Amino acid sequence: MTAVRTTLTALAFALLASTALAQSAKTTLTIDLPNEPATLDPHLQWNTDSYSVYRNIFDNLLTRDVSGEIVGQIATEWTYLDDTTIEFKIRDDVSFQDGTKLTAEDVAYSILRIIDPALKSPQLSQFNQIDTAVATDATTVKMTTKSPYPALLAQLVKLSIVPKAYMEKVGAQEFNVKPIGSGPYALGEWQKGVQTELKANDGYWRAKPPFETVVFRAVPDVSTRIADLKTGKADLIRDLSPDQTDSIKETENTKVLSVATERVGYMYINAQAGPTTDVRVRQAIAYAIDRSALIEALLQGYGAQVNIIGAPPVFGYTDEVAGYDYDPDKARELIKEAGAEGAKLEFLTSPSYSRALVEAIQQMLNDVGFDVSISASDQATFLKRRQGNPENAGSLAFGAWSCACQDADGIIFPLFRSGSQWAKYANPDYDALVDSARSTLDKDQRMADYKKAYEILREDVPGLGLYQAFAVYGANAKLNWEPTANESMFIMDMSWQQ
Amino acid sequence: MLRYVGERLLQAMIAIFGVLTIVFIVMHLSGDPTLLLVPQGASAEMIADLRRELGFDRPLWVQYVGYLNDLIHLDFGESVVQRVPAIDIVASRLPYTIQLAAGALTVAIGVGIPAGILMATRRGGWLDRVLTAVVVTGQSVPTFLSAILLIFVFAVTLGWLPASGIGGLSNLVMPSIALGALSMSTFARMTRISVADELSKDYVRAARARGLPMPKIIVRHVLRNASIPVISIAALEIGNLLAGAVIIETVFAWPGIGQLAIQSIQARDFLIVQVIVLLISFVYVITAVLADFIYAIVDPRIRLAR
Repeated sequence: MTAVRTTLTALAFALLASTALAQSAKTTLTIDLPNEPATLDPHLQWNTDSYSVYRNIFDNLLTRDVSGEIVGQIATEWTYLDDTTIEFKIRDDVSFQDGTKLTAEDVAYSILRIIDPALKSPQLSQFNQIDTAVATDATTVKMTTKSPYPALLAQLVKLSIVPKAYMEKVGAQEFNVKPIGSGPYALGEWQKGVQTELKANDGYWRAKPPFETVVFRAVPDVSTRIADLKTGKADLIRDLSPDQTDSIKETENTKVLSVATERVGYMYINAQAGPTTDVRVRQAIAYAIDRSALIEALLQGYGAQVNIIGAPPVFGYTDEVAGYDYDPDKARELIKEAGAEGAKLEFLTSPSYSRALVEAIQQMLNDVGFDVSISASDQATFLKRRQGNPENAGSLAFGAWSCACQDADGIIFPLFRSGSQWAKYANPDYDALVDSARSTLDKDQRMADYKKAYEILREDVPGLGLYQAFAVYGANAKLNWEPTANESMFIMDMSWQQ
Repeated sequence: MLRYVGERLLQAMIAIFGVLTIVFIVMHLSGDPTLLLVPQGASAEMIADLRRELGFDRPLWVQYVGYLNDLIHLDFGESVVQRVPAIDIVASRLPYTIQLAAGALTVAIGVGIPAGILMATRRGGWLDRVLTAVVVTGQSVPTFLSAILLIFVFAVTLGWLPASGIGGLSNLVMPSIALGALSMSTFARMTRISVADELSKDYVRAARARGLPMPKIIVRHVLRNASIPVISIAALEIGNLLAGAVIIETVFAWPGIGQLAIQSIQARDFLIVQVIVLLISFVYVITAVLADFIYAIVDPRIRLAR
């Protein structure tokens, strides 16, 4: 009897001890994303749900530090030999997860692979200014661009390094299922449609990864992601709209994490077809929109006002260009002058954009005398119309733009440079400025060009900056993490509070 | 019988071919995935290049003929988004949908048929009224709402069941109830009507006159006669369950083909959508043929008539 009791007591203690141990160290971090990664091959799909996962498996050539500065990751230093040639020094203490050493050959291979049209990479447009890359010795890579290309480093922040030997051995399809990188986490198991499990790479060269296991789950419905967070099934969830944050704040063991990003909410206004070809009509639209009301009421403060289509983390951003103040009387005046009372404006949108925001803007524009109708379609159809010819591209659309490169060249060049499929606007002076800014490495010159370009955009209003978007996450109260402006999700930056 | 099955299968092939053609045309007319794949700043030339590489620049009929040709060779193609054979992706998701459909069907039949029998035998009583209320609720509450309500009550407030995902049997409970509720109501109503109908027939009165106990009469005679309409409903319900799974799988993060279908349609991942359509049409047809078989087994009159 005593023996039994002793055994039972011992067992109870053992159980207690093991639960106490489990509480003291968080071994598995669970993250709910809206979708599963499309690919784990970092040179193929570029979307948030894919790179949130695979960027933890790979190292990039360059990265951004906490303050947003570009710093080396696999590269230690780089020098421009001339305007189109740049030489990178590569770390010699990094190994891939299969034990092989990462060399300059792998870096050159990664660059050549992503710019090879045969790969059919959707990311090609981010790297197609690169002409070639060659490893000159074990730790040096020489890269040449087709012309002087100031956004090169900002783009290379997104270049993941893959192992040449392994890729050539197994082929692209096998690599996508069993990727090997040099990053802090290796793929454990990819349960298609369910979850992607990553295991810590204990020999990681920067530091020991904070969690043994990280599980990325695919949970499409936002209410379900919130329920998962509240019930402790998930520790971090992505893609919340501001009106859903209250219930997370009210729950005791969960919190909201947010950060101002490089993404900018903006209005597109068609300058080449319909009533909005008249610049006075476009200016009236700018005067009619109350941006601070949008930020306070609809974004619940998860947004910051901007005067231009850009945001502070973006190179080329300036606060010296004036914005349009909310002035409905002025708007009505301009509409009267242009004879555009009751003008019919078609407002294109898709489920990717907040319906409440679109309707609020519709209301503001109707209040000053326009007749705005909303045309909602799915994202593919929306893009087809928005990027198609001006006659069919509606009068207005809302958008949330990020090039993930923090450079005005990735924003206002594609949006408004004539000839771009997004531009429903043409102004040779503007074209000259953005062309000049993308072909010189002189930072002061570029800043000056962009300031002038933004001034032209202010006068012509082919688009209107509304707000700097915030990324909003729900997290367990014990998760320490500061989200970054480029919306990346590096596990290495996270830790668990005991 | 064999000839009959052959005819049905031929009809089915034609129907599936028609469905595939319609889906092909509708999906391709509303745009291709290229625009969704590229980053926002991609130039028009880059987009055109990628579109050419992926083969979406070819005339629609050329793509269609190519697609049918591959299909004849049982080549279902590769997902343009995931770069994995489409058939593999669908196959990996199928077991989850089968699990969910089985769970929902268990709820629907396990609750619906007994409820229907009770309602028919206790017509007008309090039990009938209570069950009618349950049935009407199951029928009228939309699945997306009942799903979220279930999560709120049983996962968030009470903490009894996991809110999402797959795993043990406990993960299957809420999705099965949410998905099975509508079918449950249909089964209950159909059972109630057909049992009530049979109960008023002469053979029941004769059996009672012979002194047989009521439960025995119901199980041995009434149910057998009442089952024909219920079986045809069951065949239709399997189709409805697959359709309802689209919503339920999305809400509960259940990785079945319904969720996959929605994601693939949004991403314009044509080949996956085609495989799913092919599969669902197949299931519809097969269940309809199976229902015919079961009629013949249950009711000798049908068997003898052929």
